[in-house]
Amino acid sequence: MTKTDHYYHQSVVYGVCTLLFLPILATFLYSISSSWGATILPDGLSFKWYLQLWQDVRFIEAFGRSLLISSSALLLCAVLILPVMFVLFYYFPKLQKVFNFLILLPFAVPPVVSSVGLLQLYADSSLPIVGTPWILIGTYFTIAVPFMYRAIANSFSALNLHDLIDSAHLLGATTTQAFFMIVLPNLKKGLLAALFLSFSFLLGEFVFANMLVGTRYETLQIYLYNMRQTSGHFTSALVISYFAFIFLFTWLASRLSRGINS
Amino acid sequence: MSFVTVKQLLKRFGEQTVFEQINFTIQQGEFITLLGPSGCGKSTLLRSLAGLYPLDSGEVWLDNKNITSLKPQQRDIGMVFQSYALFPNLTVQENIAFGLKMKKLPSSKIQRQVAEIIELVELGGKERAYPQQLSGGQKQRVALARALVVKPQLLLLDEPLSALDAPIRKNLRQQIKSIQKELNLTTLFVTHDQEEAMTLSDRIFLMNKGKIVQQGSAEHIYTQPGNEFVAGFMGNYNLLSAPQASQLLGLTIQGKLAIRPESIYVRERGREYAAHISNPTAAIIKSHQLLGNIIRYQVQAKGCDIAVDLLNRSSERLLQPGSALELLFNLNELQQVS
Repeated sequence: MTKTDHYYHQSVVYGVCTLLFLPILATFLYSISSSWGATILPDGLSFKWYLQLWQDVRFIEAFGRSLLISSSALLLCAVLILPVMFVLFYYFPKLQKVFNFLILLPFAVPPVVSSVGLLQLYADSSLPIVGTPWILIGTYFTIAVPFMYRAIANSFSALNLHDLIDSAHLLGATTTQAFFMIVLPNLKKGLLAALFLSFSFLLGEFVFANMLVGTRYETLQIYLYNMRQTSGHFTSALVISYFAFIFLFTWLASRLSRGINS
Repeated sequence: MSFVTVKQLLKRFGEQTVFEQINFTIQQGEFITLLGPSGCGKSTLLRSLAGLYPLDSGEVWLDNKNITSLKPQQRDIGMVFQSYALFPNLTVQENIAFGLKMKKLPSSKIQRQVAEIIELVELGGKERAYPQQLSGGQKQRVALARALVVKPQLLLLDEPLSALDAPIRKNLRQQIKSIQKELNLTTLFVTHDQEEAMTLSDRIFLMNKGKIVQQGSAEHIYTQPGNEFVAGFMGNYNLLSAPQASQLLGLTIQGKLAIRPESIYVRERGREYAAHISNPTAAIIKSHQLLGNIIRYQVQAKGCDIAVDLLNRSSERLLQPGSALELLFNLNELQQVS
């Protein structure tokens, strides 16, 4: 590769990146300008929108609710799916085909359709969970399962599961001990990656939250939606804060998962 | 009673019989090789002995105890897998200590025993390495150490050398043998490589299609194959039908005959041959193949194609295709096979 080629490739990459970053940059600029009306440049720079946002109790509460719902759904997911997948891969590997199909179902149905279905299903149910965070945790569980399944399935296939468990057995370990001491630590990387991915995804979820619970349990995205009538500077500050959080979170996640096994 | 006794083992996967009528005994400290082509059921047999697969019928006795229905954890059997099966999340040291930890030994004792075994398999300096940082040969030595450190009564090795390069394989083969001798360890080694089997074993059990077709010392199995399969698998025997053999040797021969290529002489002028050497048979060289220390000639004699191995003494003595020669057969080395 010649030097000009190198520069050419570099400029394409940087060009595309700049293009992609432009909206974020613009939003950021807008969020730190005091007001920006009929002028080319903003009237002045200030952090007052951020201060206003971070002092809003409603925002902090909505943020906390989103964190709580997402992490409980993911916790439930991890606790349930790890043992199930171990049993699946170790004892019934043939059922993997069935699982691969089942796991696609939450994707196949559009969220609007499935939320209407869920509403009808639980409307006259003896389980009054519509409008409560519980239904949201359950729904988030189902949409997180495919992400978790795929990522963990890859880790499982990378392991020579049968020989590992067999040799653990011969060395005196029970199947449960083998699961906790050998299988689980080797899934850690895939599991963490899946958790972080699903977490960022769930934090931004709007359709289910809006349809199933709405303002009765205001999550971050619902809050953002309800604030759409207020100043654009304010919502820009909100979007940038949200973005920064996801950014920080993803960076931490990749740092963490790199730290393991090296 | 022998140290290991196996009676009438039978294993089926669904309709298919994997092995049947498996009977053998092993003395304490013996090195036995289970030899056979791939798919003959030898690995399944090994795993069944370890308790990893349930048997359909038969009994396994180890040190006067019937272990047929015991779980793998209770059998006191160590095993080394072809795939190494090292725990990727544990260091070399932790891998080796795993079995001792399961026995709940005090950590000072574990440390001492692990250090001893690491010395034995020459892995000093690699204690803190993870399996993915080791070479194939090193991994297999960790697997061996992990199986040995719990002092099993029987060690099973499932094609432990098959995934390794030739020089490492030969080196590790010697190491396994010397460790086995040093610890007087009763060992059952599975391989499909007849050279490996012959160099390592006290006795060989040769398996084909789920049955043990012949057992005995390497010398016995190599020079006295009981049937056509053994002759075909162990060496490069010339297999002749009864009429072919009769015509070739000028004798009346019943049944099939197996002749080792290296047992055939090429007649040299002016040399006297012993009484057990046959009359000369005229032959013509069709082709030759250089195998390094020996040259294998394909010759035709009385309508039979025969392989003859001669030592590669000097290049001047190389016989060209088309040249005529006379073959002499050692009558003591002719082997009737079923």
